[in-house]
Amino acid sequence: MPIPFIMPKMDMDQEVVTITLWLKKEGDRIEKGEPVIEVETDKIASEIEAPESGILANILYHENEEAPVTKAVAYILQEGETAQDLPIPTSGIKPAIPEPAQAHTEDAGAKPAVSATPLAEKVLLKLNIPANQVPASGSKLTRKDVEAYIEKMQDQVAPRVHVAATPAARSLAEERGIALEDVIGSGPRQRVQAADILQISNQQASEHMVATKELMSTSVPMVGKRKRIAERLTTSYQSVPHIFLTVEVDMSRSEAARKRMNEVAEKNSQPAVSMTAYLVKVVAWALKRHPYLNAVLEGNSIQLLQNVHVGVATALEDGLIVPVIHDADLLPIQLINEKLRYLTRQARNGALTANEVTGGTFTISNLGMFGIKSFTAIINPPQSAILAVGGLMRKPVVIDDRDTIAVRPMLSLTLGADHRVVDGAVAASFLAELANALETPELVLY
Amino acid sequence: MPEITYREAIHDAMVEEMRRDESVFLIGEDIGSYGGAFGVSAGMLAEFGPQRIRETPISELAIVGAAAGAAMVGMKPIAELMFMDFVLLALEPLMNQAAKARYMFGGKATVPMVVRMPGGSGTGAAAQHSQSLESLLMHIPGIKVVAPSTAYDAKGLLLSAIRDPNPVCFVEHKLLYKVKGEVPEGEYTIPIGLAEIKHPGEDITVVTSGIMVQKSLAVAQKLSQEGISVEVLDLRTLRPMDNQAIITSVKKTGRLLVVHEAVQTGGWAGEVIATVSSSEAFDYLDAPMRRLAGKDVPIPYNRFLEAAAVPQEVDIEAEVRAIVSNKY
Repeated sequence: MPIPFIMPKMDMDQEVVTITLWLKKEGDRIEKGEPVIEVETDKIASEIEAPESGILANILYHENEEAPVTKAVAYILQEGETAQDLPIPTSGIKPAIPEPAQAHTEDAGAKPAVSATPLAEKVLLKLNIPANQVPASGSKLTRKDVEAYIEKMQDQVAPRVHVAATPAARSLAEERGIALEDVIGSGPRQRVQAADILQISNQQASEHMVATKELMSTSVPMVGKRKRIAERLTTSYQSVPHIFLTVEVDMSRSEAARKRMNEVAEKNSQPAVSMTAYLVKVVAWALKRHPYLNAVLEGNSIQLLQNVHVGVATALEDGLIVPVIHDADLLPIQLINEKLRYLTRQARNGALTANEVTGGTFTISNLGMFGIKSFTAIINPPQSAILAVGGLMRKPVVIDDRDTIAVRPMLSLTLGADHRVVDGAVAASFLAELANALETPELVLY
Repeated sequence: MPEITYREAIHDAMVEEMRRDESVFLIGEDIGSYGGAFGVSAGMLAEFGPQRIRETPISELAIVGAAAGAAMVGMKPIAELMFMDFVLLALEPLMNQAAKARYMFGGKATVPMVVRMPGGSGTGAAAQHSQSLESLLMHIPGIKVVAPSTAYDAKGLLLSAIRDPNPVCFVEHKLLYKVKGEVPEGEYTIPIGLAEIKHPGEDITVVTSGIMVQKSLAVAQKLSQEGISVEVLDLRTLRPMDNQAIITSVKKTGRLLVVHEAVQTGGWAGEVIATVSSSEAFDYLDAPMRRLAGKDVPIPYNRFLEAAAVPQEVDIEAEVRAIVSNKY
C-alpha cells in the first residue's frame, strides 16, 4: 500500500495550511526526513519533511492551495508500487467529476434547460420527453443522460417485487440460476428457505438427466444434400472394393517451384497458387499416363476416359461438394488456380451450376489445412480412384544411401482405388509416378 | 481421569499457581478461616498464611483497588468478590484504573490481576445477589472477561488468567460450583479467547457460555434423538470473543441461537449476532438469528419467578425447535 503523506497539525486549533512550495514533484524520489513541502499557517512558515522514503505520487493539493491538516496531501509509493496501487480518493480532494445539474423542478418556465447534444435531442423528441426533466451529468445533456433517466423512470414505474428469502436461499438461488420470484417459500410468510431452492434445483437436475438420457444430441434431418451424400457414399463403400496405398513425398522442390510461381504471381498482382491447385496440375499430368486411374466402370466394361476432369472435394457448412476442373491436364497451373478459387467461392455461396459439378473423372480430397497427417477417402462413383492429401509436415527423413537424415517438407498421399478396375500394381505405379513428378517437378514438362 | 467439582478445580488452580509463583496471592472478604462465600478458598489460609490469603474489610473498592496497585508493582493478585453484583462498588479501580494503566503508560505498567466473581441466579439470593453483569465488564477495553462452564475449563482458564498481564474478570456461576467434571491432575492451561464446540451439530449453532452451556448440552442431547443436530459452541472467553469459531460454525449450520442468562437488552448476544451478520457467514443463514436471554427484569426472590426470569432447558429447546422448523 502506498503511504499517505499526511499534512501534520502544528497547532491545537489548526485546520488548514497553505502550501507555498512543493520542493519535489511527482515521480521524484524522496528520503525520510527530507524537506518536501514549504507551508505557511497564519502564524508561521515551515518545511514539512517526508514521513517515509519512496516515490512522491498523486499530489492532491498544489502550490498556493489550502490543504487540510491530518489528511493526505500526496502519496509515497514503495518499491514495486505504481499509480495503480493508489487508493481511490474519498475526501480532502476537490471533485474531479463536475457537479450534477440541479434536479428539475415542475416550474418549467423558470427552468432554463441545459442544451442537449443533437443525438440526445433526437432521442428526447422521439420519446416525447421534455428536455428539462432530464438531469445532465455535464455541461450538455447527452444520450447517456437520457438513457439513465429512462432507466430510472422504468424502475419507478415497475418497482421490483420483494421476495422474502433467507440469505442462504438467496446465495443458493443465485449460484444455481433459480429465480426467487418463481419459488413459493416454505418458511414463515412464504419466506424462501435454502431447502426450497435445493428441492427445485434437484428436481431440475433429475429432469435434465432424464432429458439427456432420451436425447443426447440435436437432431439434424437426413434430407437433401446430406441424404444424397449418404446414399452415394454408402453405395460406393459397400459396392466398390476399395484398396488404399500411401506414399510419402518430399515436397522440397515442388514447394520451391510453387514459391517461385507465387513470386511471379505477386509481381503480377495475381493470387498465390494453392497447394491444391498445384496438385491438380501434377495429378492431371500423371492421370494422362495411367488411364486406368482415369476410368469408369460401366456394366461389364471399363471405359478409359480421354479427358482428365479433376474434381476437388470442398467442405461446406452443411455438407460436401465436388466442383470439377475440366481438362485439367490442358490448363496451366495459374488458370487451374483461378478456376479453383472461383469454384470454391461459388460453392460456398451455393451458386455452382450443374456443369461445374459434373463430369469428374478423378477426385482430390485435401485435408492438409486441418493438420491431418494422412487419411483414406471413399471413391466418388462412378470414378475409379480418389487421392487423399494430408498436411505438409516438416520432418526428418533419410535422404541418401549413407543414411543421411535431413528435415524435409513431407506430404502424405493416400490413393483409394476401385480394385475391380485398378490392380494394386497399377495403382502403385500411378502413385510412384505422381510422387516422382512432385519430387522432380520439371518432369511435368516432359 | 479424576472427577472433581468446578469449585475444586478453581481451588486447585489457585493453590497450584500460588505454590509455583510467590507473587500470586488471594485477597477478599472471608476467604481465610471461613473459606470464602462459596468455600472455594477452604484450607488455603493454613497452607499460605495471612500474608498471601489477605482478608479485607467489607469494601470491594479496597479489594480491587489494592489488587490493581499490587499488580502494577509486580504482584499477581487474585481478588475474590463474594458476589458479582458487588463489582459495581469496584468499577472505578477496575474500569478506570486497571483497564487503562497499561495503555496510558505505553505498556510500561501492566496489571496482571484476576477478579473472581460468582454470578448468576438460581440460589434464591434475590435481585442484588443474582445478576449476570458480563456485558458491563465486556464494554470496557482493557479488561478480559472469562466465564468457564466446566471444571476442566475453569482450571485451565484460571491459570491462563493469573498469568495474563491484563486484568481478567473471572466469572464463576454459583450453580456450577457443585458440578463435577473430569480434570487431569497437574498443570494445564486453556488459552484465553478460544471457544470450544462442546457438542458438534449440523442444523443449528447455539452460542452460549457459563451455566447455559450445561443447559444447552442437555437440550442438544435430547434433540439429537429426534434427528435435530445442535452444535453447542461454548465461548469460554467473552472478551476477546472467538469470532472465527462463531462464523465457522454458523457457516456450517446456517442457523444461530445465542443463549445467555444476562438480561437481553445490551447483552452480548447482540455482539455475536452483529459479528455474524457482518461476516461471510451471513450468506449461509437460513433463518433469522435469534437470542434467548434473561428477561429485562431484576431477578425475583420467589423461586418460580426467579426460574422464569432466565432461560431454562425447556425455553432453549422450544427456541431451537422453532428455528429449525421455520416456525419463529
